[in-house]
Amino acid sequence: MQTEQLNIRISEDLVHDIDVVTNLLKINRSEWIKTKLAEEAQKEKKRLLIELSTLYAKGMITKQQVQELVGKEIAEEMEFIKQTAIESISMGREYGRKLKQKLN
Amino acid sequence: MEENLSRNSTDFVFDTSAFLSLESVNLLEQVLNTFSITTTPSVIKELEDFAQHEDTLGNIAQRILLLVKLFRVEEHPKTLVLHYVSQTDEELYNLTYTKNVPLITDDTKLVYHTKDKIRRAFSTIFLGIFVDAGRMTKREALNKLELMRDIRNWQDNIIYLSSKEELNNIKE
Repeated sequence: MQTEQLNIRISEDLVHDIDVVTNLLKINRSEWIKTKLAEEAQKEKKRLLIELSTLYAKGMITKQQVQELVGKEIAEEMEFIKQTAIESISMGREYGRKLKQKLN
Repeated sequence: MEENLSRNSTDFVFDTSAFLSLESVNLLEQVLNTFSITTTPSVIKELEDFAQHEDTLGNIAQRILLLVKLFRVEEHPKTLVLHYVSQTDEELYNLTYTKNVPLITDDTKLVYHTKDKIRRAFSTIFLGIFVDAGRMTKREALNKLELMRDIRNWQDNIIYLSSKEELNNIKE
């Protein structure tokens, strides 16, 4: 896995807190920070994408705007999911009409 | 038991999420009594894992497993490769491809990665089916959708919002 170095400055108080946690857990400080950062980034990404998809599904933003914010792949996926959801109901209605005919 | 239209063939292939969503709104038995549903042993294993837990999804999975005699479980050789999905999903893809019927899943990732390969639909398809078959009113279907959304924690996701709009558009 390729890595990139980030230079961030954090307060002494936070360093102290992190040291307390990692000493108690007996784990490496850098590893703990990386794990927590990854967990938080994943959680926040999921939350924001749900909010974005809500705006898209409600027609409050366009696919083009989604694409500008998060890229083509996610924008296409959202468009596709929306289309599939619409088609699921319409496909169901077709099945329903056939079912009604067969049972009559 | 209601009339099953094609007891000797498969109408739909179900994944774990489809079973959970439909049973969460007590619709699964009606679906199984109306259509022939097939799934894979891996899905049964996933449901058994869910059923180990005494929470909402665990209780739903326990109820699904009590209905196992009403659907088919078929092992299918994995001949086609599907990237970016789990082994369970790859088995479902192979089964669905061979059966040439729609795969019912609420897994958006699986739906996206099987684009242009097989027919797929979300479990909400059955709300459309039962409304137009005259077995459920539009209001009942919307209520089921709301309940499904709450239990499955869909929040305001695309499946919920788009399905709601489509159901609201039905003229009674």
